[in-house]
Amino acid sequence: MDSPSSSLDFAAIGHQDSWQTITDFINGIRTDKLSSEKIRDIFSFIPARDLFRVKVRSKTGAEINGVYIETFIDPDKLEIQFLRTNIGKVMNAVSCAEKMGARMVALGGFTSIVLEGNLDSFSGNGSKFTTGNTLTAAYIVKGIEKAAIQQGNDLKDSTILIVGATGDIGMACANFVKNKVRKLLLCARNNQRLEKLSQELMKEKIAVNYSVSPEQLVPEADIIICAASSSGIKLTDFKKNVLICDAGYPKNLETKIENNKDIKLFHGGMGQVSRGFNFCPDYSNSIYRYAAPNIIHGCILEAMILAFENKFENYSAGKGNISVDKMEEIYSLSIKHGINIAPFYNANGLW
Amino acid sequence: MQTVTKGAMTIEEYNVISDVFSQAITGELIGMSNFASLTDTIDDPHEKMEAVEHANSERMHAEGFMAYAKKTKLKINVNLDSEYWGNVRKQFLSYAQKKDFIACLIIQEVMLESFAVSMYTDVGNALGGEAGELFLSIAEEEREHLEHSSGLLRAELEKDPAAFFSKFEEIHTNCMTILAEFTATTDLRGHCGVCNGDCMKGSMHHIGLDIVSLRGNAMALYAQSLDNIGIPGEKSIVWIARLPA
Repeated sequence: MDSPSSSLDFAAIGHQDSWQTITDFINGIRTDKLSSEKIRDIFSFIPARDLFRVKVRSKTGAEINGVYIETFIDPDKLEIQFLRTNIGKVMNAVSCAEKMGARMVALGGFTSIVLEGNLDSFSGNGSKFTTGNTLTAAYIVKGIEKAAIQQGNDLKDSTILIVGATGDIGMACANFVKNKVRKLLLCARNNQRLEKLSQELMKEKIAVNYSVSPEQLVPEADIIICAASSSGIKLTDFKKNVLICDAGYPKNLETKIENNKDIKLFHGGMGQVSRGFNFCPDYSNSIYRYAAPNIIHGCILEAMILAFENKFENYSAGKGNISVDKMEEIYSLSIKHGINIAPFYNANGLW
Repeated sequence: MQTVTKGAMTIEEYNVISDVFSQAITGELIGMSNFASLTDTIDDPHEKMEAVEHANSERMHAEGFMAYAKKTKLKINVNLDSEYWGNVRKQFLSYAQKKDFIACLIIQEVMLESFAVSMYTDVGNALGGEAGELFLSIAEEEREHLEHSSGLLRAELEKDPAAFFSKFEEIHTNCMTILAEFTATTDLRGHCGVCNGDCMKGSMHHIGLDIVSLRGNAMALYAQSLDNIGIPGEKSIVWIARLPA
């Protein structure tokens, strides 16, 4: 039975990014198959609950135990008009994690929006919280550095576009790369915030251009980090051999790009656990299916790493608080535990 | 086009509301019968008296619905042997005959009450007025039954968790399968035997309801009830995912 006394190092709160994954998950449990339509009729009504236990192994020999808590957010309803409903679902999942006595709680993917807003609304039941955005951002920029070398791109001569630049992860990425690239292009939906961020960077003598319309910036970009929800995003007129890191939710940017032969796209913000992990029950045939084994989102890995380190504190919280030092700190701890940037892959498989 | 009316209601509203009340009255009478049968499974005199009180409470609910139906001249069809209600009752009796108090409690106070509380709340909010208030007030009383069982079942779980989970799963399979079929978007076992004409599910929009939300909310409350008892999510998700739809 679950109780606050159980030894639970971490809880990962998350959501599924496609109905295909959800259909595979539900039909994997059933003896007969249900249509996706029938599953849609019930899935989003289910209250947040733990789906499976996770055991993770570090390079140091340490092991930690956690749990995955599903929010049952409808993958087609991640937009702003469903925010209130989704926040309710995330808060239910947080209560579930606290009730289970999880020491460290990661609010993965879209669910991080709650913790980016207000940490005060989280009760003091002993659980600590993180959005995991620091490690996600670190994996994105380190991934870009690594991929650029592989592609023969010199970052110093590159113009880099960040879509979702005023979000927590977008800002962290901008801050990390601002002194390493030729020019920064910033894109976000909110013009006021975009202008403010751009002006701050210009004061630091960073070459910046910004727009709420990605199509105005894409033709100039050598590298693109897309750290925004991909619904509604349309990217066209790329430079030849542009390098793209899809770091949004869901990661399906390649399906929205016409004529994508001349681009090199990878799903960023992901890590790979070298010593592996186990699910119980094992749903790895439907949930967490990737092009390579033992891949997990950076946001969830951040909570695991903090648990390995016995560093039970609210690590990534609020918005705009991620420093380069913190990104380097969590990234080096990640390496210490044998958790590295995931190999580059996209919907078509490994590079 | 001219709208045909029955009193203050359109004919479509009248038909659906008649069916909704028919289902509610039948359900309450099943609940009354179940609580009455439950008394035979209980040795503790206080618990026995409480079961009788609950049976009377369900009778009062049925009478409340009947009184409103009579006043508004609704067409009521009560059928305790109908396809779904009759089978739920059979399931209950099979455990009552074995004097399995815990199983009876699970069926009546967790499964049936979860569905009753949720559906009465949705119907009450949709109907509004006197009928709406009637459904909402009965939903509140049924909620007490639901809460009453949680403490007893938590204590039972703590005695032997593995045995409790196994027993609960068996009852869930036997009973929730019937409720899931009953509330599926299409009748999986044919006509329910309570609705006056065709299945009311296709006509619920006339009173601002739809079967997907009604069923989804009921299943959500059932899932929360399982959580309150202490059944781990990793078990309850499997049980719920395996139900017919």
